[in-house]
Amino acid sequence: MPKRTFVCRCEDVTLAEIDHAIGLGMTKIEELKRYTGLGTGPCQGKECVGGLAALLCARGLADPDRVQPFTARPPTEPVTFGALAAAGDDE
Amino acid sequence: MTDSGSSWLTRAEPARVGIHLDGEGPLPVGGADTVTLGLLDHGHVETITSAKYRRARGPYCLTGDCGTCLVRIDGRPNQRACLTRVRDGMRIGTQNKLIRAAPDPTRLVDKFIGTMDHHHFLVRPRVVNQAMQAVARELTGFGSLPDHPPDGASAHEVSAPDVLVVGAGPAGRAAAQVLGGSQLDILWIDRGLDSPTAGGLRCRGQTGVFAAYRREGIWAAMTDDGTRPPTLHTIRPRHVLLCVGARPPTIPLPNNDLPGIVAARGLLRQLRRVDATLAAKCIVIGEGETAQRAATRLGARCIAPSRVTRLEGSTRVEEVVTTDGTLEVQLVAFAPTAAAAHDLPRQAGAKLRFDGTGFATVRDDDGRCVTEGPWQVWAAGEVAGVMSDAGAADDARRVAAALLTAAQEKR
Ligand code: FES
Repeated sequence: MPKRTFVCRCEDVTLAEIDHAIGLGMTKIEELKRYTGLGTGPCQGKECVGGLAALLCARGLADPDRVQPFTARPPTEPVTFGALAAAGDDE
Repeated sequence: MTDSGSSWLTRAEPARVGIHLDGEGPLPVGGADTVTLGLLDHGHVETITSAKYRRARGPYCLTGDCGTCLVRIDGRPNQRACLTRVRDGMRIGTQNKLIRAAPDPTRLVDKFIGTMDHHHFLVRPRVVNQAMQAVARELTGFGSLPDHPPDGASAHEVSAPDVLVVGAGPAGRAAAQVLGGSQLDILWIDRGLDSPTAGGLRCRGQTGVFAAYRREGIWAAMTDDGTRPPTLHTIRPRHVLLCVGARPPTIPLPNNDLPGIVAARGLLRQLRRVDATLAAKCIVIGEGETAQRAATRLGARCIAPSRVTRLEGSTRVEEVVTTDGTLEVQLVAFAPTAAAAHDLPRQAGAKLRFDGTGFATVRDDDGRCVTEGPWQVWAAGEVAGVMSDAGAADDARRVAAALLTAAQEKR
C-alpha cells in the first residue's frame, strides 16, 4: 500500500496535497479548505482543522494568536430530514 | 471478511447477543456493547472505503466525532457504529464498497495514483471528464437509501428552559450535581448512549445538539435511539452551559488512516462502559502523562510519535515501524492531546483561541463565553481548554455555581 499521511481522513486529503496547495499560494485555512476539500466530509472539520492550524503555525504561515477555524455551519451533529420536517409550520 | 477467531476483549459479562456483519454471523457480543466495540471484539475494524483514494477505513475517535465508523444498520444507512448499542439479530453492513466480499477494483486508485489534485484530475479531454464524473458520483457518497421510510412521523418537542446543559462527560456531570438542587427548569442533554440522570433535571440521552441559531434564539437537537423515528427538539433557553468536551485529532504519520488505529481516549471510554479490558496486542502512540496512563490501562507499550516511521498493513494496521525496529500489532491507540470541541461554541457566538492543538472557547472569569444576544452561554471543562477529568469537573462546579447565581437573579 502506498504511504500516505492524512490530514483529513473524511475527504482523503493528504499532507502531500496540502503541501501542493501551499505551493500554489494557498496559505489560509479557508483557502486550503476550498481547494483541497479538507473539512467538508462527515466530520465537518472536527478532526482536521486543529491539525491544519498547527501545521500552518509551525511553518510560519499563520499566527497562533489570531488563527481561527473555518465557519462551523449547522448541522454539527447528524439530523434526519424526517426530524427537520417535524418542525412543520410551528417554527 | 476475516474473523480473527480469538477475542480481542476480556469481559466481565459474557457475550450473549448475536449481531450480523455483511450477511455473516451471528457474532456473539455483549448486550451493552456499541456496534464498534462488539465488532472490534471479533477483530472487525473496517467499515468503509474512503472517498478518493479508495482505502480501507474504520472507526477512529469512538466518541461520535470523526464520521468514519458509518455503517448501515437494519436497513438505515450512515449510522455511527460507535454511538449505537447492539440489539440481538442486528444486521450491520459496511458501506461504500463497489463489490461486497470481493476485491474491489476501485482500490487500484490508491496503488496507481499519486497525489491527486482533484481540480485538475481527469478534466481534459471532456469525454474523459464526463466519464470520471459519472463514476465519481457513484463512489463518493456514503451509503445508499434506507430500505424503507421510518415507521411514523418524527415528534417535535418545544421547550424554553431556564438552563440548557449540553454534555454528560466529567464536566457535564459535575455541573448537573450543582444545578440539580435549584428550583430552575433545567434541560440536560447528551448524545451518548447512557442517558444522563440527575435529580431535579429533565434529562435526554442519545440527543445531539446540531445547531445554535443566534438570530432565532433557538438551539436545535435530535433524539435518535435507532428504534423509533427521531424526535426534534426546539429549545429556547435563557442560559446554556456547554460541556461538550474535546476530540482526538489524528497524528500525522504515514498510513495514519488504517483501520485498527483508534483514539486511546475513546477506546478507554468504550471499555469502561461495559467493564471490559483489552486482550488484543496494542501499541499506544503518544507522549506525556495521558498517553502513558492510557498505555498502562490498555496493557500496551507507549511509543512517542517521533520514533514511529510509519504504520503498515493492507486493510488494517498490522505493524508499527519504529526507528528501532518493527512491532506486530492488532490495534494501535493514538493518544494525542485532545482538541476542544469548537463548532457549537462558535455557532453560539463564542470567541475561540488556538491552543496549539484545537480551538478552546474564550470565557470571562465566571465562565461566560457569550453575553450578548438571546441567551447567555457558559462553557466548562475541556471545551474551555481544561483537559484533565478532575480539572474539568472542578471547573464545571465553579461555572455552574456562577450560572446558578446569574439565572436566579434575573428570574
Ligand atoms: S464517529 Fe464513530 S468512530 Fe469516530
